Amino acid sequence: MTPLLEVEDLHVRFPLTEGTIEAVRGISFTLGRERLGIVGESGSGKSQTGRAILGLTARPGEVTAKRLAFDGIDLMAAPERLRRSLRGSRMTMVMQDPRYSLNPVMTVGQQIIESYRAHKRVSGRDARRAALAMLDEVRITAPDRVMALYPHELSGGMGQRVMIAMMLITGPELLIADEPTSALDVTVRGEVLRILDQLVAERGMGLILISHDLEMVASFCDRVLVMYAGKIVEELASGALDQARHPYTRGLIGCLPKLAGDSHPLPVLTRDPAWAR
Amino acid sequence: MATPLIEARNLSVRFGVGRLTVAALDDVSFTLAPGESLGLVGESGSGKSTVLRALTGLAPLSGGSLKLGGVAVPTPRRMNFFTAVQMVFQDPYASLHPRHTVDQILAEPLAIHRIPHAETRIVAALREVGLGPSYRFRYPHQLSGGQRQRIAIARALILRPKVVLLDEPTSALDASVQAEILNLLEDLRRAFGLAYILVSHDLAVVAHLCERLIVLRQGRMIEETTAGALRDGSVKTDYTRAMLAASGGFTRVGPTAPPTAPLRNT
Amino acid sequence: MAAGPSPLTAWLTTAEPQSRTQARVGHAYQSFRRLARNPTAMAGLVIVGLLVFVAAFAPLLATHSPIASGDLRTERLLPPGPVFWLGTDDQARDIYSRLLYGSRLTLAVVILVSIIATPIGLAIGTVSGYFGGWLDRVLMRITDIFLAFPRLVLALAFVAALGPGIENAIIAIAITAWPPYARLARAETLTIRNSDFIHAVRLQGGSSLRILLKHIVPLCLSSVTVRVTLDMAGIILTAAGLGFLGLGAQPPTPEWGTMIAQGRRFLMDQWWVAAVPGIAIFVVSLGFNLLGDGLRDALDPKASR
Ligand SMILES: Nc1ncnc2c1ncn2[C@@H]1O[C@H](COP(=O)(O)OP(=O)(O)O)[C@@H](O)[C@H]1O
Ligand SMILES: Nc1ncnc2c1ncn2[C@@H]1O[C@H](COP(=O)(O)OP(=O)(O)O)[C@@H](O)[C@H]1O
Ligand SMILES: [Mg+2]
Ligand SMILES: [Mg+2]
Repeated sequence: MTPLLEVEDLHVRFPLTEGTIEAVRGISFTLGRERLGIVGESGSGKSQTGRAILGLTARPGEVTAKRLAFDGIDLMAAPERLRRSLRGSRMTMVMQDPRYSLNPVMTVGQQIIESYRAHKRVSGRDARRAALAMLDEVRITAPDRVMALYPHELSGGMGQRVMIAMMLITGPELLIADEPTSALDVTVRGEVLRILDQLVAERGMGLILISHDLEMVASFCDRVLVMYAGKIVEELASGALDQARHPYTRGLIGCLPKLAGDSHPLPVLTRDPAWAR
Repeated sequence: MATPLIEARNLSVRFGVGRLTVAALDDVSFTLAPGESLGLVGESGSGKSTVLRALTGLAPLSGGSLKLGGVAVPTPRRMNFFTAVQMVFQDPYASLHPRHTVDQILAEPLAIHRIPHAETRIVAALREVGLGPSYRFRYPHQLSGGQRQRIAIARALILRPKVVLLDEPTSALDASVQAEILNLLEDLRRAFGLAYILVSHDLAVVAHLCERLIVLRQGRMIEETTAGALRDGSVKTDYTRAMLAASGGFTRVGPTAPPTAPLRNT
Repeated sequence: MAAGPSPLTAWLTTAEPQSRTQARVGHAYQSFRRLARNPTAMAGLVIVGLLVFVAAFAPLLATHSPIASGDLRTERLLPPGPVFWLGTDDQARDIYSRLLYGSRLTLAVVILVSIIATPIGLAIGTVSGYFGGWLDRVLMRITDIFLAFPRLVLALAFVAALGPGIENAIIAIAITAWPPYARLARAETLTIRNSDFIHAVRLQGGSSLRILLKHIVPLCLSSVTVRVTLDMAGIILTAAGLGFLGLGAQPPTPEWGTMIAQGRRFLMDQWWVAAVPGIAIFVVSLGFNLLGDGLRDALDPKASR
């Protein structure tokens, strides 16, 4: 069986006048219908990896890969039209702050319905029914009331659930969630993660969860890739943080203050230039 | 007991007028002893920042009283208030003037308070926060997030305050940088006998730096507890317990379908 | 380059200046380098520099008197040629020489208007935006009233009150030019005033005056400067309009706008009489424009790299 996503030697480069920035430097992984986490500090290339997979790399950026395939389709060779139709219908992305990803002058309902009808030929009534059902699935109470709200009238957690509903309504097989809970409170975060978890399990989707929060990702995902300076330095199994071997991963775990067994001063991460090589 | 450094009684703050009034703070009271460190936790919108803004006078009080060192604090604040109370903001990208060099940023409080020997004070302040003199003439955009937060801390400390208000000082930073800043804050506290009021949504950060903490919800204090109680889980309210549970990472409840379940619509 | 930078360049560009003076000079040098690397800004600088040069040395560069008429029978409305390089006008005066002397007035108008109108606009706009409340409402209503009148009509009213003459025309134009700058400065102030770096100064005990002058005005200054340079053409033309109505520069003073106004009658047959000062206004406006745009980028330290 072909894996859902194959990535081999993916590079993302930004040629700028001051020199070329290598945001992603040759990463490889495959994804089945599972939950894969990508963690690393800011600037390590997590978002650029997600964007490159979807074909959303910003302007001067160049993407190269030995292989980048979605369900057997070679994305590097695919024409832009095919990629556009894949994006949104079979693979999709949820961003960090829903307030910047939703259109401020359209109601939530209009936006969900629009994104549904962009990929499915259905009547307005059916689309509306699907949108209501989807909002219900992300556990929004009184979905018909929420449909009429504008994005600024939503709280952070509600906005993120609307965003997830909008992205999942077309029944995609791959969801890339880029820091979906970083702007949320811890209590709301758990709820959003549980919704994601359930939807992924029910629908048998593949999920790439991007985050800087190692503990959260390790407790949520089946596998975790640790990125540093555009490279994958370590792969960990779910919940196996204590088995991390790379000094960067161990440093990241160590430098977090902990409720149980806190150390004063906190150990700090000393970076070895060899990690980036 | 010695007189508390800060004594806040029944603080309330309202925003807006008429029917649109929001009670951002309602009847919040606490004290802070010299050298002590107090945490404020709660989810976003619960009024944590408003407490700090009310203390500093950036948000007008609609009720309650405030004492600094046993003396009532007037509105508008006097100069001696600002030498005693300083603040570090959440977003290090927004709290430094984009067109001022580090030197100009640190010189400003000294100029306002007419403190002599500014240049030596600035170099010393940079050293205190672990930055060399080479950073003195840089602009904020030439610094990393952690370095900027160090500059913001240096600016707060250059007037030698007794209390520093910290509004989520590390939540915009990476974990590794957060550890460095937390260590720095601890060292500075020890070196200068500082008292802190730390706002954070991260219970582990609060427990790391503070002995006591207040839990806010919708502008009200719902619990006053200690870092020790957080550690051993002996908190009183369900709300705090839920926050504590949520901060321990993701826990899967009940059986989940196997990840290779068939696609729903094929 | 094989050779390393000279000691002076190294001193100017070091990342670790040893003193405030060195840092200030170094930052100024970096700004200049950014400006110098921008070809359109340099074109603007050259044009403005040329204007200043011409205004300063007009008596040396002029070939004829700008005021005295030539022979009215043989030298009226001559096309450009070897004696009268840019032709003559209906009073048989050399247009080239009038143009040179006229640059003095143009420069004076431009400088005076900008040093009067810019501070007024900045002060009203930043005060209004910073304090808000009733002060904001009052100041903005006044601004709106000024904005509601066409500039020339308003200037006309002021000149009528103050009396004709180029000085009064300049004052009148300055008084009518500030409202757009006030609006712009207010809009910028509104976005700045609630930022944390302003709160930080307030928490250090900084007075409102200090916050306005040292922290807000410098941030508004660049966009207002660009706006002022964009308005230069309009300012020169308003001066011309007043001159045309007999309320600005009085004949025979050589002033570019008045020159166009007088040449208007011969536009069909003797085009150069109006076209030459017109081109001069166009080129000078363009020069200020390019320079202003380049200055905005050069003065922003973030643009460096
Ligand atoms: N549009 C761009 N132009 C140039 N460099 C970029 C651009 N976008 C991202 N980068 C660079 O790519 C690197 C990785 O960025 P990103 O993937 O967003 O990191 P993160 O792990 O925080 O999501 C960063 O060093 C960043 O500077
Ligand atoms: N300037 C303001 N005008 C109106 N409402 C405000 C203002 N500042 C804060 N609030 C409201 O006060 C409440 C508390 O806000 P804040 O103290 O910033 O919360 P926290 O820092 O805990 O996230 C929120 O409901 C917020 O919407
Ligand atoms: Mg990112
Ligand atoms: Mg806050």
